[in-house]
Parts: sequence; structure tokens; C-alpha cells
Amino acid sequence: MQTIERELVAGTRWSRRRVSPGFLYVLPSLLFVVVFFLIPLAMVIWMSLHDWPLLGEPAYTGLDNYAALLGDSTFWDGLWFTTKYTILVTPPIFICAYILAHLVNSKMRWVGLFRTIYFLPVVIGLGTSSLLWVWLFNDQVGFFSFILSHLGVIKEPVLTTPNTSLAGVIVMVVWKTVGFTMVLLLVGMQAIPTELYEAAKIDGATWWPIQFFITIPLLRRTIALALIISVVGSFLAFDQFFIMTGGGPNNSTVTVVYWIYRASFTYFKLGYGSALSLLLMVILTAISVLQLVVLREPETY
Amino acid sequence: MKKYIVPVLFAIVAGVSARAEDIITFWVRDSDQAIVDPLVKAYNARGGTNVKLSVIPAMQFVTKFATSIAGGSPPDVVAIDLIYVPAFSKAGQMTDLTVQAKALPFFDKLSPSHIRLAAYEGKLYAVPFSAEASVLVYNTDLFTKAGLDSKHPPANFAEIEQDAQKITSLGADTKGFYFSGSCAGCNVFTMLPLVWASGGDILSEDGKTATVDNNAVRSTLSLYRKMWEAGYIPQAAQGDNGTNFFTGFATGKVGMAGLGAFAIGLLKEKYPNIHFDVAPLPGQNGGSASFAGGDSIGIPKGSKKVKEAWEFIQWCLQDDTQVNEFAKHGSIPVRTDIAESAYAKLDPRYVVVAKAMATGKTPYSTKYNELLNDPNGPWLGMVQTAVFGKGVDEAVKEAQEKFTKILGAK
Amino acid sequence: MVRVARKSGGKVYKIAALYGVCCGIAFLFVLPLFWSFITSLKKPADANASPPNLLPSTLTLENYTRLLHYGDGIFNYFGNSLVVAMLTVIGVVFLSTLAGYGFSRFSFPGKNVLFVMILITLMIPFQSILTPLFLVLRTLSLQNTLVGLSLVNTTFQLPFSVFMMRNSFESVPRDLDNAAAIDGCDSKALLTRVLLPIVLPGVITVGLFAFVASWNEFLAALIFLTDADKYTLPIMLLNAQSGYLGTVDWGLMQAGIFISVLPCAILFLLLQRYYISALIAGSIK
Repeated sequence: MQTIERELVAGTRWSRRRVSPGFLYVLPSLLFVVVFFLIPLAMVIWMSLHDWPLLGEPAYTGLDNYAALLGDSTFWDGLWFTTKYTILVTPPIFICAYILAHLVNSKMRWVGLFRTIYFLPVVIGLGTSSLLWVWLFNDQVGFFSFILSHLGVIKEPVLTTPNTSLAGVIVMVVWKTVGFTMVLLLVGMQAIPTELYEAAKIDGATWWPIQFFITIPLLRRTIALALIISVVGSFLAFDQFFIMTGGGPNNSTVTVVYWIYRASFTYFKLGYGSALSLLLMVILTAISVLQLVVLREPETY
Repeated sequence: MKKYIVPVLFAIVAGVSARAEDIITFWVRDSDQAIVDPLVKAYNARGGTNVKLSVIPAMQFVTKFATSIAGGSPPDVVAIDLIYVPAFSKAGQMTDLTVQAKALPFFDKLSPSHIRLAAYEGKLYAVPFSAEASVLVYNTDLFTKAGLDSKHPPANFAEIEQDAQKITSLGADTKGFYFSGSCAGCNVFTMLPLVWASGGDILSEDGKTATVDNNAVRSTLSLYRKMWEAGYIPQAAQGDNGTNFFTGFATGKVGMAGLGAFAIGLLKEKYPNIHFDVAPLPGQNGGSASFAGGDSIGIPKGSKKVKEAWEFIQWCLQDDTQVNEFAKHGSIPVRTDIAESAYAKLDPRYVVVAKAMATGKTPYSTKYNELLNDPNGPWLGMVQTAVFGKGVDEAVKEAQEKFTKILGAK
Repeated sequence: MVRVARKSGGKVYKIAALYGVCCGIAFLFVLPLFWSFITSLKKPADANASPPNLLPSTLTLENYTRLLHYGDGIFNYFGNSLVVAMLTVIGVVFLSTLAGYGFSRFSFPGKNVLFVMILITLMIPFQSILTPLFLVLRTLSLQNTLVGLSLVNTTFQLPFSVFMMRNSFESVPRDLDNAAAIDGCDSKALLTRVLLPIVLPGVITVGLFAFVASWNEFLAALIFLTDADKYTLPIMLLNAQSGYLGTVDWGLMQAGIFISVLPCAILFLLLQRYYISALIAGSIK
């Protein structure tokens, strides 16, 4: 590094301006981040202090939006629902991912094929996947509805009652995202030295204790990472609810981001939408920090 | 390579701007697609300005339209559900058409409901485009099978309930009544008239106060609830967000449903096996009412082709266009002077609808979307709570509060 | 000897069971996509049949040909998605490679602060700055443009991409730089002629992620594109699904879904290891 710098300082015009070339390389990215991220971030705070209609002139209202937020029962219901959804969807994803990671962590033939198949839904995109499953759950032409009603599991269309529509969305999300978590766990698993397993087996340990005492603790960091990604992703859910349930039935599946979208683009209250956005950011930061603290790796082995 | 850039760019720019001279963009909602496709084709066939049509799903229409205005790229002409015109006029987003509209020879024969909703503070911001009115459609075969007189549709709530019960008792999945339980707009169209016919309303005349808590509302909601609990309505109705608004009835297994003029054409064309008739939507003790709906057409602010846009609008309102395009494809003409005559030749059932429209009502509110059409709004919430949920009283109380809160906000 | 026989007998069962389970699960995973594909090959009326028929009575490509006339034609929407994705890829690759190089090989005041600043965007999702983003794009006259959407997509791919590229550069030994300097390379040549070929896997990974993320982007496209002819594939499909009066054309939709899924699926199958390598790098963080 020193060599280049010296050479550049000696040989180029930049030395006269004393702007580090490194900075110039980084500058374009910085510009993007400033224009499309930092400025909007500052604007969110500014806009949340206004009544800012989509069509019309903004008016300064101070903390009125926040006061309204406190009394907005639909928002709090939405926040509660988002939390409930996150809590309900995360365990299935992780349990399935864990099992799948184990299955493909063997050296049998075609394990690569299985791993590919399990991962494939991840690249489909949440929007497209939602559209696919809305069709599968459709009570007239959907295969899943057909099978489920024949098995007597459901009597009404899946996406019409609060509990079954949530269950349906969760099934779709698990299908679509488990591959990603599976690979993260797989990578972690493959880093565990096999000697540990050999030693445990010699000591007579069976499958479950091995998992509990060896694999999971050693995967702690990977699980923590996967957990943070998954939880934040679940909290930001929008596509699946917008497409599959439309927030219904009767507002029971509206998530926080959905509410922000509605506030800003259906009710055209950009100021209020900004206040909601700010609150979302605060909550997300709190969740991430909480997770990092709770899952922090103790000094082990 | 570089020397080609300038000429190519020039050609592209020239080509684009040349095309731009001839094209006006026109947005409609998908509910109008059946009439608008041939309409636009006919206009484009005349030569001159070309209309480029964009069909937007009804549920996203207001969002997309407002966003496009806010984003600086609105369409040149827009056919928007007439109930939204007050909101957009108030926001100053529509071009003032008072002068042009009043210059039309048939101005005072234009649908009164449309004109009323297109006016804001004395100026006119849109003119009628397509008209709809809600009526009760009923399956005459099922009526006869159930021992009912198919020439005698229900004229009050008690008869609706009785007829529904008789039809449901035919068994084999036959049900007496259908409505889309998760569709806000559908129920404003077909359930609200029952409230009106029973002598009540949910909004004051000027649209500024909520009058949800009254007997007409309660008895209408109770009627629906009774029918639901007694099983006269198919289960699937609860979750129907409007996708099956029409097909619910078109299955042939439903006795009655609130629909509109569009249904007449569709049934005749696609479901000829279903024999049906139409009747005005009745009130609790008789009387009738209808929701006068449809689209109004206007020119968003920001359109650079106001003159061409108005030419197109004017063409739509002409006599022969009204008869040959609108009436022919099953849409009620918005000109009361031609409505009945145009329809009398087509099908007597249309006359019922045309009459209903002439005396129909339309709620006026600058907060229409939030209150009445929003799938997450208080109107649908009230219907769902009353019919499927906690009950009528609870629903009405909640709705009155929510309505008032929304109307109170700026 | 008996012990060995029993051990191998047990093992065969175990392996067979393992295969069985894997196959069963794989079957369940593929089933939705398979059904969708099969339905896209049915005649329209057959595809709308209720209750659904598993297998088509006749195979036909009708749904695909009808997509050519849907709205502005499937090629238009496919093209839009492609333009946005390619612009995003180009933007992301270009910016993150330069930035990764800058962060790795140079020192300048505030370097660490700036690096953290770029990474911070990972913590804060774009969903929470949608509202002002709309206004920013409008001010730049980029609202309702494919370019505007690409810029937004690019920005939100940057943190991950810059991180990846910096890591890629870091893992290349400095001796190469010195050797190149001796040969008279300046920083630009060092980047393009020496380092770039080595960090190419990182570039491919970053490009792949950018493509997939942009191709599948839904919410941003929903808000930032208002002209119907500019819609990307997910939005077009959304509109196709909002059929009026119960007239959703399911066969057409499945054909559309298939076309939406195909590019990313193909890219993924071809470039799997780059995807995995990204996740590995992420874990190490």
C-alpha cells in the first residue's frame, strides 16, 4: 500500500490537490449513499414533524403525528400482528432449516442436487412467490385448497379467516426462505471439526445429546446471524400480506410496513407515514441490539 | 462508432417527439375495460390524435393516479370513479372544465349525480363518462322452483328474508342471497341503497358529519346478519374481496344479489343459461333506492394536451358515441335525454336500471376513499363486524367513532 | 465378522431412509413450481377449471402466446425488468468494486468512519425511507422511470456489495501490488489489470445478488413506477391477478410466473457456488 501511495504522490496531479485517490474510488458509492439514503433519512425526521399531503403543501405541526400515532389503534394492532407473525414464523424456519442442513451435510451422492432444490425457492422473489401461493390457496382453482378441503382440514377458503390466512402465509414464507437459513447453518456445520463428533460417539452419545451439546453451541454465531437476518426480514414483511391477504380479513393481517405504505400512498399522508417509518427504525434497531446482546457468544472452548 | 451517436440520438428524439404530438394517455379502471377497449379503438380509427389506453386494477387506481400526479407524470385524460372527484378537485389536481362543459348543448341533460360530484366550490372539474346504478338481480328459475312469483321480486326486507329462506330450502348448495363480504365498494354500491330506501344515511348531505348511528343502518345490517346466521348466504361470501362480486350470482345457485347494469350484459353474453330479472333495491318497508355510480372523466393538472384531451371527452359525450359505443356495450349513457330511448330497444331490463340511476344517490365526500372504499376502512369494518362478528350495535358504535375521527381530521 | 455384517446392514437402511426423506422433501419443495408450470401449459378454460384438474387434457402454449398481447406484451415487461436489473448490476459492480478497492488499498482520513457509514444502511431497510425517497426521486425527475428504480436498487445493494468487494481485495496479498508497482503500474492499472481478474469471483457474486434482488423487487417498483408500460414483471403479474368480476386468467398468470422465475433460476443453477460463497463470507463477519 505504501508503495502505491508514494508512487501516486510522486507521479500524479492529485498530490497537488492532496485528495487521496482512495477517497476518489470510494466517492461514487458515498454519493449514492448520501443522496438515496442519508438525505432521505434526515427527511424522514423532518417530514414526520409536518402534515405533508401527497398532493398539496406541507404544514409544520410539530409532534402532532406522534400524538396521533399513540392513539392509532390500527397501527398498534399492526405492530402486535407483526410481532406475532415474526414469533410464529421464525421457529418453523429454523427447525426446518436445521433439519435440512443436517440432511445435506452428508457425503452421499446427489446431496448437491438436494441442496439446490431446497435453495431454489429463495431466488424466486417474495412477490412472485406470493402470487404463486395465492393461486395455490385459491378456493376455486387452487391445488392446495383442493387437497386440504378433501382431507377435511379446512372448511372455508384458506385466505379468508385470520388464523388460516396467517398459517397459509407462514407456510409460503417457510417454503421460500428455509433454503437460505439452511445454507447459513450448513456452512457453520461444516466448520465444526469432525473429531468432536468422533469423540462424542466413542463416549456413547446418541443423536440428540450430540446436537444439544456440540452442534448447536458451536453454531451459536451462525444461528445468531441467521436469526437477526430472519427476524428483521419478518418484521419488514409486506409483499406477502399485500398480495395474499390484502391486509384482511378485516385488517387482521396488516403489518407495520403495510401500514406505512397505506398511510403514505393510500391516505396520502406523507408526514404521518414518516413518523411511522421513524418508529419502525427505532424498533428494528432495538430488536437487533437486543438480539446481539442476548446471543453474544460466551468465551468457550 | 462515435460519429453515429448524434444522428441516431437526433432520430430518436425526433421520432419520440413526433409520436408524442399524436398521443394522449388515458387511464381507466379495469371495471370499465369492456366498454373502453372498443371505445378507444373507434376513436383511434378516426385518425388524428391517438389515445393510448392504460387499464389499472380498481383497487390500486387511486394510489397509482395520485402518485403519478405527485410524481409529475399524470395521464392526459383520466376516467375516475365519480366518488373520488371531490377529493381530487379539492386537492387542486384536476383542470377546471366549467367553461367547456357548460358550452355543451346537452349540458343540462348530463347525469345529475355525476355533475354534483364533479363540482367543487362552484367550479366543474369533470364530466360524466360512464354510468352505473345498483339494482337487485334475481334468478327467475330459482324463484319459480321455490314457489315464488318471478314477477314479484321482494319489495321490502321481510320479503327479502322470506324469499332467501325459500330458495335456500331448495337445498343442494342453493342459497338465497349473495354479497361480497370483504369488498368495501361492492357494499357501498348494493347495501347502502337499502339504508337509503329505509330512510337513513351514513353521511350528512354535505358529507361533513357521520350519521351512522340510525335505525335504517341498524335494520339493514340486521337483515344481512340474520341471513348470514341462517345460512342463506354461501360461506365463501365472507372472504370475497370483490373478485366474485359478479360470479357469486353467476354460479346459478344464488337467488338474489345486488349488482349493476354491467351484470345484465355480462349475464346475457356469458351465462345465457341463467334466467334473471332486475328490480330496484328495496327499503325496510318498501320504497327503493339506488347508488348512482360510474366514472367521471377529467383532465389532470399537469397534462400538456388539454385541448386534445377535451376533444376526446367531447367525442365520448356525443349522441352517436353514446348510443353506438356505450349503450351497445351495456353501459348506461350518461345523458338522461338518450338513456331510456337507447335502452328501450336493447332490453327492457335496462330501463329499470336507467330509471334507478335517474333517481339514484351518490355520497359526496372528500374523504370517500378512506371512509367508504378502503378495504381497511370503517365502512367495511362495520359491515364485517355487524354481519360476521361481534354484532350490529358494536359495529355501529365503532363505525360512528371512526367515521367522525376521519371526518374531523384535515 | 458378525459385528461388521450387522453394521453394514444397518447402514444400508440408514442410507436408504436418508435418501427417501430427502427425496420426499425435495418433491414437496418442487411441487408448487411444478403445478404452476403444468397449469401454464393447459388450455385457458382448463386452467380456470374448478375444482382443478391435475393434468392438462391437452398441452398447449396458448398461455404463453397470449402473454404477448397482455397489456403492452410480455416482452415489454420482461424488457423493463431486464433493464432495471442490468442497470442495477452495472451500477453495483462498478461502484462497489471501486469502493472495495479504495477501502482496501488506500488510507485516507475518515476511512473507517465512511466504511461504517456505508454499512449502516444494512441496518436500516429501505422500507422505512420510502416516503422521502419518493420525494427525492421526484426532485431529480426520476420518479416513474426505470433509471430511478435502478438507482434505488443499487443504493440498497451497496453495503453488502462494498463489504464483499473489500473482503475480496483484502484477501489478495499485497506482494502483488508491490510487484506490479515495480513494473510501473499506477493505481488504475493495478486495479484493472492485476487485481480485477483475481477478485472476479467476488464481482460475479456481487453482480448475481444485485441481479436477483433487483429482478424480484416488488415494493419499490410498486411505488416508483406509475406508468403501466413501465411496469416490471412482478407488478404486471400483480395486475393480472386482480382480475375483475372473477375473470382472473389463471393459465396466463402461471405462464407469467414461469417467465418471471426462469432467469433467476437459470442464473442460480449456473452460478450456485458464487451464491454460497457470499453466504460464507457473510457468516465470517
